[in-house]
Amino acid sequence: MTGHPTTAQLLVAVQLYLKEAEAALSGRLAFHAKVAGNTLGIVLRELEQAPAIAEAAALAPFGGANALCAALRSGEKSPEDAAVQQAIRAAVLARLAVDNPRYSTFLRLAERPIP
Amino acid sequence: MSVGLLDPASPEGKAALAAMLPEATAIEAVVALSGGASSATYRLDTVHKGAAARYVFQRTASTEHAGLSRSVQAAVQQRAALLGVPVAPVIATTDACGPLGDGVITGFVAGEALAPRWLRSPDHEAARSALTGQCADALARLHAAPVDNWADLSLPGGNGVAILEAMFALYRTLGVDVPAFDLAFAWLRPRMPTAPPTCLAHGDFRSGNLLIDQQGLAAVLDWELAHLSVPAEDLGWLCVQAWRFGHWQRPVGGFGNREDLLCAYAHAGTEIGLHELHIWEVYGTLKWGLSCLQLADDHVSGRVPSVERAAIGRRVSEVAADLVYLVAFAEL
Repeated sequence: MTGHPTTAQLLVAVQLYLKEAEAALSGRLAFHAKVAGNTLGIVLRELEQAPAIAEAAALAPFGGANALCAALRSGEKSPEDAAVQQAIRAAVLARLAVDNPRYSTFLRLAERPIP
Repeated sequence: MSVGLLDPASPEGKAALAAMLPEATAIEAVVALSGGASSATYRLDTVHKGAAARYVFQRTASTEHAGLSRSVQAAVQQRAALLGVPVAPVIATTDACGPLGDGVITGFVAGEALAPRWLRSPDHEAARSALTGQCADALARLHAAPVDNWADLSLPGGNGVAILEAMFALYRTLGVDVPAFDLAFAWLRPRMPTAPPTCLAHGDFRSGNLLIDQQGLAAVLDWELAHLSVPAEDLGWLCVQAWRFGHWQRPVGGFGNREDLLCAYAHAGTEIGLHELHIWEVYGTLKWGLSCLQLADDHVSGRVPSVERAAIGRRVSEVAADLVYLVAFAEL
């Protein structure tokens, strides 16, 4: 239905408003307007990419995030285990692609698989 | 600002501050420099016998404040100055129970405190190239003093194993499971030193706490997290990715490289190897990650609702990526 903005289009509209507000504000309020706009960027990417699915898939061989954390705490799994590192790397990349795809370590880690 | 504390810019506040300064000092202006969550900083523009003089007043702004009291911090800072570390001179401290609250007045040191600015500006190019050596020298001087030098101040601290376990306990109270954090805890556990502390660590020696002028390091700021530890803790913290402000190719605070830092440190003091530095860099990165979790928890729990704190919660993914990279490849 045309004329009926999608969730993403509503978020983009609010981002536009926040940009205008940021320009008119100063100090703490301007900074918070900027942070708020960036936060909506995270929401937009999360709607598009659904990182929880990729994260769950990467950690599934270890029973999921909670089980993997427990296994690392008890010593049942070693932090030197390449399979453990590879799984965590994949889960982290899925999240960071949403949270901050411009972060330097995101690009570097994405380009460097763990052997 | 806490309820009941005098506003330093009010006539009563100015009078109370003037009473702490040399006799016949008139405070002309009080300028708020920054208002963090737990501390507030003001510049005092004064006139004394016809001559202008500037001071800085910094005080604890809320009960959230977790660091050292200002009087202990001032004592640490004065002793660091005696060791040859560049710091702002301490003029007076204000009573925690008094109308101005727990604060300290220092001399004003000119310079740029905003790291993203001095890390980029062409005006600070010479400063940046001198800075790695200057940081190594300042830290070596501070670390050279034996723990006896600080014994009467009852500072917190402990060996590597103890401070890691304290951090793990904090992680568990937050009740979240971050696999990259547990990876780092498990990796660090057998590597942390068990020997007792050998020195005072500044505890927050990072590019955001350095005051920079044209020549480089003008003053080391914010001593409130000083504690007893080992030298490598301060050097590792200085290398944490979060303080490089995008200049990731320069691991030392966004301005230098590790080999130069260790070489200058060895020249001025004792030798620290890349391997030991790496361990403390992982530790520092994890520590920053826990700060992100804690700030996010302020919002999530409803204690301090804030867009800034909510957003910081998503920086946990940045730290997670840094930790995976550091543990898997022994560099970052």
